Amino acid sequence: MTRISRGVVAGLAAALLAGGAAMAVELDVIMEEVPDYDVVARLTERFEAEHPDIRVRFDAMPYDAMRDKILTSFLAPEASYDVIIVDNPWMVEFARAGYLEPLDARIAATEGYDYGDFVGPLRAIGEVDGRIWGVPYYNYALGLIVRQDVFDRAGLAVPTDLEDYVATVRRLTGDGFYGAAMQPQRGYKIFEEWKNWLYAAGGDLFDDEGRVILDSPEAIRALELYIETHREAAPPNSLNWGFDEALRLMAAGKAATMLSYNWMLPTLNNPEGPAGALAGRFQLYEVPGGKAVLGAWHWAIPHNTPHKDAAWTFVSWITSKAVDKERVIMGGAPVRVSVMTDPEVWEKGYGERYYRTVLAILEDAEPLAVGERAEEIIEIVGTELNAAVAGEKSAEQALRDAADRVRRLLGR
Amino acid sequence: MWRPRLPLRHRMLLPLVGLLAAVLAWPALFALWVSLHDYRLTRLRDVRFVGLDHYRALLFDPVFLNAMANTLHFVLAAVALELLLGLGLALALHRLRTGRHLARALVLVPMFVTPIAVGLMFRFLLNPQLGVVPYLLGRLGITVDWFGPGLALWSLILIDVWQWTPFMVLMLLAGLEALPRAPFEAARVDGASPWRIFTRITLPLLRPVVLVALVIRGLDAFKVFEYVYAITRGGPGDSTETVQFLIYKVGFRFFRMGEASAMAWLLLLVTLALTVLLWHLLRRREA
Repeated sequence: MTRISRGVVAGLAAALLAGGAAMAVELDVIMEEVPDYDVVARLTERFEAEHPDIRVRFDAMPYDAMRDKILTSFLAPEASYDVIIVDNPWMVEFARAGYLEPLDARIAATEGYDYGDFVGPLRAIGEVDGRIWGVPYYNYALGLIVRQDVFDRAGLAVPTDLEDYVATVRRLTGDGFYGAAMQPQRGYKIFEEWKNWLYAAGGDLFDDEGRVILDSPEAIRALELYIETHREAAPPNSLNWGFDEALRLMAAGKAATMLSYNWMLPTLNNPEGPAGALAGRFQLYEVPGGKAVLGAWHWAIPHNTPHKDAAWTFVSWITSKAVDKERVIMGGAPVRVSVMTDPEVWEKGYGERYYRTVLAILEDAEPLAVGERAEEIIEIVGTELNAAVAGEKSAEQALRDAADRVRRLLGR
Repeated sequence: MWRPRLPLRHRMLLPLVGLLAAVLAWPALFALWVSLHDYRLTRLRDVRFVGLDHYRALLFDPVFLNAMANTLHFVLAAVALELLLGLGLALALHRLRTGRHLARALVLVPMFVTPIAVGLMFRFLLNPQLGVVPYLLGRLGITVDWFGPGLALWSLILIDVWQWTPFMVLMLLAGLEALPRAPFEAARVDGASPWRIFTRITLPLLRPVVLVALVIRGLDAFKVFEYVYAITRGGPGDSTETVQFLIYKVGFRFFRMGEASAMAWLLLLVTLALTVLLWHLLRRREA
């Protein structure tokens, strides 16, 4: 309603002022309220200056509110959002439901876009059934964030495999200081964290033929080690800790390591950030075992927007090489290889070592979960994992239950 | 000439009936229709009739049964505690002579806070890193894992008790004040003890109010969602997953509206059955 009336008012004003000149297209864009959004919003002011015929209106909200809003927009006769961002577990589901506009032709027709410059695993998330449905916005791959000074003082090397990690964080625990700030909260959080352990132990959710192998010996070992570490090297009463709590412990100087989003490093090392006087003592490494969980947001265009051209003009501008470089310099999480290897970015951003580590993490990373039922798989496995950490069942039992439930879900 | 056959008093009800049909009956019947179909929001071109399949599957689904058990546990414990505490407070406030208005106003405050804010408030109050409660207990050498396994559901129950006991107080206080004085005076003249007066006169006379309060509070408690959403998300494990939270998850996150609607209808049936049962129990004793 407001959309229509605002459109009418804008139309009348334009007609009066310009004597009937063409009306500007208004793009409604749904966003998540995160630091990366602030960067995009600032850059968009310049986009509007360069494109007087397109106005961009952001609707930023918390993560939990997004999924159903996006779906409602898909189901409406005319989309309420002209541009959306898609979290990686949703991509296949939305693409197969026919809710997204394929972007292949538009990408090919955009000069100098260099689609191949996006890191491979990120590109793969947006490609479903041989077509491209989304282009990368920012990554949230996991890395190992450590207190470098604590490791240096103890004369310990930062662990590169799981056994070493478990032993090291246990040694570092004592006197109210913990080796690991973990996030075993039921559902998404524990799944996101534990899946790195699963990779490090040599396991996976599915084998090459797509069979569920969640109850493999590797997975059981990964969970047993995770539980042991939570009991011995993480704070007590932290069974429902998520990202906030783990970060707070790290920032308060009470933990030596945490598995978290790679871009938490600049936040922790910012003297005006949450860690205060500890800023500068944090360092980023690849997760133990090397293979990390990859999270990513993609820009996409809904099938039912009448403004597809304008939407692509905006999306291709904000993800173009030049603008993406600025976005990363301003603090956005990188997605393009050329940006992460650019000396100017190193200098104006957070230094060469940081971007090289992020690139290494991204190149050997796999999405949190894929497929039409990804969101449910995350919830099912995340619930069983949490039950095992809570001691309600054994690691083996929890994984067997999780595997059964996932098999039943996929068979349905 | 056309003459209405319905008497006027029935015709006066028509607007209300129409309104209820529009805002209650229509969504409920639509949900019933949806519950008989494989209705997924991501596959609206492929909606198939499945009959009672969803219901049959739910009756053997450990996740749903666990959520139902948690919900019943929550409702029974929370409402019982609220009734006991509410009755105690109402009796005390009824006797209070000085500052009674102020005391009543203060007692009612928690009821006016929106439940999601209450959830967030307690999440922080009981947070082991930031919370004042664990801090104060810690100084006494006590550590309690409020949202750990075993205790999480009880923590949610206590939060509900904190918020909704005032409602019981409000209802029961109004009931107490409306009681006739004569039986009490007669009992006192006959030398009855206060306890005897309470059990033989106050409680029986108060029964209709207790019944209404229990039904309203019970129906409301079945809707528990905010505390779960704001604090535990159903964890640890499955221990605080309630039916409402499960419906939200299956319907609005997994988009499987058919199953979510079937759950909603099963919850409605359970609620109805319990309400009728409660009504009968308390009514019969009255007769």
